[in-house]
Amino acid sequence: MNILIPHSWLLEHLDTEATPKQIQDYLSLSGPSVERINDHNGEPVYDIEVTTNRVDSMSIRGIAREAAAILPQFGVVAKLKPLNLPNVSKANNPLPLPRILENDELNNRTICVVLSSVNRTETPKWMADRLEQIEMNVHDAVIDITNYITHELGYPCHAFDYDKLVATGNEIRIVEAGAGETFETLDGESFTAVGGEVVFKNGEGTIIDLPSIKGTKNTSIDESTKNVLLLMESIDAKKVRFASMTHSIRTTAAQLMEKNVDPNLASDVMKMGVKLYQELCQAEVSSEVYDHFPNKIPPTEISLTTIKLSEYLGFKLSLEDAAKMLEKLECNTSIAGDVLAITPPSFRPDIAIPADIIEEVARIYGYHNIPSVLMPTAIPLNRPKATNFGLEHRAKEFLSAIGWQEVYTYSMVSETEAKTSGFNLENHLKVSNPLTDDKVYLRRSLVPSLESVIDGNTERSSISVFELANIYIPQEKDLPNEELTLAMVSNRDYRTVRGDLELLFTKLHIYNTLISPLESDDQVGNIMVNGTPDSIGQIAVKNGRVTIQLKMAKLVQLSSSHPTYKALPKTAALIEDLTFTLKEKTKVGELIKALTNADSLIEEVNLKTIYNRNFTFTIIYRHPDQPISSEMVAPIRKQLVALVESDWQGHLVGELAN
Amino acid sequence: MTITTFLEQLADIEAKLQQQASATRSDLEKMFLSNNGLFTIISKQITEVEPTDRKTAGKALNQLKTAIETVLASSTGREVKDKRWVDLTIPGEKPEVGHVHPISQAMAEITGIFEHIGFTRVRYPEVDWDWYAFESLNMSPSHPARDEWETFFVDLPRSDEKGQVVLTPHTSNGQVREMERLGEPPIRMINIARCYRRQQDVTHTQMFHQFEGLVVDKGINIQHLKGTLDYFAEQFYGPGTKSRIRPFHFQFTEPSFEVDFSCHICSGTGEIAQDGKTEKCRFCKSGWHEVGGCGMVHPNVLKAGGIDPDVYTGFAFGWGIERTYTLKKGLEIDDIRLLYSGDFKFLEQF
Repeated sequence: MNILIPHSWLLEHLDTEATPKQIQDYLSLSGPSVERINDHNGEPVYDIEVTTNRVDSMSIRGIAREAAAILPQFGVVAKLKPLNLPNVSKANNPLPLPRILENDELNNRTICVVLSSVNRTETPKWMADRLEQIEMNVHDAVIDITNYITHELGYPCHAFDYDKLVATGNEIRIVEAGAGETFETLDGESFTAVGGEVVFKNGEGTIIDLPSIKGTKNTSIDESTKNVLLLMESIDAKKVRFASMTHSIRTTAAQLMEKNVDPNLASDVMKMGVKLYQELCQAEVSSEVYDHFPNKIPPTEISLTTIKLSEYLGFKLSLEDAAKMLEKLECNTSIAGDVLAITPPSFRPDIAIPADIIEEVARIYGYHNIPSVLMPTAIPLNRPKATNFGLEHRAKEFLSAIGWQEVYTYSMVSETEAKTSGFNLENHLKVSNPLTDDKVYLRRSLVPSLESVIDGNTERSSISVFELANIYIPQEKDLPNEELTLAMVSNRDYRTVRGDLELLFTKLHIYNTLISPLESDDQVGNIMVNGTPDSIGQIAVKNGRVTIQLKMAKLVQLSSSHPTYKALPKTAALIEDLTFTLKEKTKVGELIKALTNADSLIEEVNLKTIYNRNFTFTIIYRHPDQPISSEMVAPIRKQLVALVESDWQGHLVGELAN
Repeated sequence: MTITTFLEQLADIEAKLQQQASATRSDLEKMFLSNNGLFTIISKQITEVEPTDRKTAGKALNQLKTAIETVLASSTGREVKDKRWVDLTIPGEKPEVGHVHPISQAMAEITGIFEHIGFTRVRYPEVDWDWYAFESLNMSPSHPARDEWETFFVDLPRSDEKGQVVLTPHTSNGQVREMERLGEPPIRMINIARCYRRQQDVTHTQMFHQFEGLVVDKGINIQHLKGTLDYFAEQFYGPGTKSRIRPFHFQFTEPSFEVDFSCHICSGTGEIAQDGKTEKCRFCKSGWHEVGGCGMVHPNVLKAGGIDPDVYTGFAFGWGIERTYTLKKGLEIDDIRLLYSGDFKFLEQF
């Protein structure tokens, strides 16, 4: 959350000569981050980010307190000015306070006072200017005073139209709303309670306030208001958050209260409120101050040892120095031997364990003053077994080098994409709160996403993309099985794509792979490794596109960083081409296997070219011990031709020599 | 052998001869005329050609021999004497190449940097229990700090022990998981993964990547965190880049810090001197770029991972790869949604 702090307003709480630039730089290094300095009619206004645990800094006073502790560390004199607020004076013409039916479970403090004969005056220029500087709307003094003191002291307060309360029995019941009850906020918006929101109701059971969030119209200040009930409460943080989030009413008050702003601050807010109503609206105090504060939680003492402090800092800082810094943050400190005991102020509930004290000491000391060194500790050697990030990256680099573009697509897909994954919609996990309709299901296949990428790049004729990502397989009563998958989709022809796949396997030193077409669908084949029963993936040719899906875990398991060296051949090979005319639907892969196995002197058979139905194969013959001769090859060649004719109903192009 | 095959093989040898025309004489002799030479082998194979075709084959063989001799004659000793005209201005013919995605490139670079200083890269679930994503990180289900992690939930029944199933909104779910994997320190983990949050604009995508570092051992302190950050900054952004930490708040670290890296445009000064005047650097916020968060591991997180916080301390850091990467000098990507668009015009630039 961010807060705007005008420089001159800050100086009302802080005695310093620091320049705005110094304040920005030094606060950012050791305290809340001053994100920018806005110029507002010549005056600097700090835009400061306050972290959620430091709601005490969400005010002029809070930032001044930080500055008073931080600036002196940088050699700049700075002191927090005392508040000096007068006590609320006695009532001259008393009016009855409302009867308040407290609920100590829901609310930890109610403090209020009746102010009468409130003059409806314009907001004075000095106050209007400041409200503009902090980007708040200016109304008139009666309303603006509450916003002004909230910003100055960091605790929300509310002004009720006292006479409206009196008209309905002058009673406030602090209760939870029932489901279906309605209320209208002071800006005229209507809401229906879901039940459980903490509300104020009058004696008739009507909701008359959404405390710590926003006032309701039926009790808010309007043009006829003469008497005001100035009230602060301390509603349970979780309840405030629930109501504020449920109805999307994210006011400053709600944001302060849901972060457990310190109810002790309400006392000063009361004093400052009365003072301003008296000064600006000539209001009269017309009641006692009602103050119900059932559960004052005394801050607990925490102790810190020198050892613990140096364990975090890496060097020794004296407890005396640490204590001085903590005192500036309004902590009480005492040192006994090697132990520093501190009691934080009530507005610092974030200081609860020794590490919290260390944070305060270290930041005020200055993180920039702490040395920077690499750790000299032992390097762990226990690596996760099933992953191989190096292999993953090698595969990516190789594929991209041979023409494949890597893409990253979303893990969540639309209903249409999920349905084209090959799995039923019910077999997908669903996001219960998707942001957009196109990202709802956790994908079972990367293919639809990659198909979309190809469809989206219409300018390209030849396109090949791949992605390495998880697919999510639902499991009974458990997290999904996340299966890392390498998917490839291309509109190039099958042989080109398969060639790339074969090269990838060679590159990863995975050998003896084969593709086994499904009996049910000849456009789909399992990618297998010879001699193992499980497939490592699938390849398919559909609608002019080739898709491949490989299980990364299998590749990791099968691959090697290096080949097994095979002794170089000692003899020369005889290489020749044979061309056969083959029938339609001949499984050439099977044919090559048969040719290769036909004789032990055949080292390799490769498909060289295809022209119509003529397939030219390059045959490599080699004898392990002696140079291979034409005489040795001639009978084998005959055998090959005979094999093709008998088993494959093909025939040789041309004729054999005798 | 058919005559066609024979002639094709001769043509292949002729092509090789022309390719090697500028080789030295001895290399040419070895390649074509030695015992294992291409010409020697093919001339022996003429016997395999049909007798009726032998004449044609012989003629072609002679032509090849003449060609070899011509090339040999012009190649005297070591000197190359090829005087043929070559058009060096003609454009090249490029093979089709793809590109490793910039996120993968960044991941590999980050992995390499941290592996050099002893970090082990790990991978943990992207769809995980609330326990690992939040609760074990000192964030109970109703904690307001959770607002900042605009979390996607998965439509699955909640587990009594581990809560709901979420799409991990950060890589910090790896912290307690790594503690569980190793059982005890030393821990030096780098966890890089996809993350998900309900947000979408120029600087946010519903899916993004983070990297998370976790170091736990005896005597780990803030100095070591600073040292690690400085090391990374120098390695990733170049020499002279500095890091700094400033106060921040996370539930799972105490103290918590925001990490900035010095701006490479203005060298961390926030100002650029131009034409004798100094101007504000428009690339950064007063000399520094905010990149992410870090801190000393909260004792409650160590406890959740079964590690005694009285014996061990640790630090953790985590931030977005997209943000970290796009700050690289001269990169100038102004819309990170492009990374996940699959647009070739974008991807081909990397």
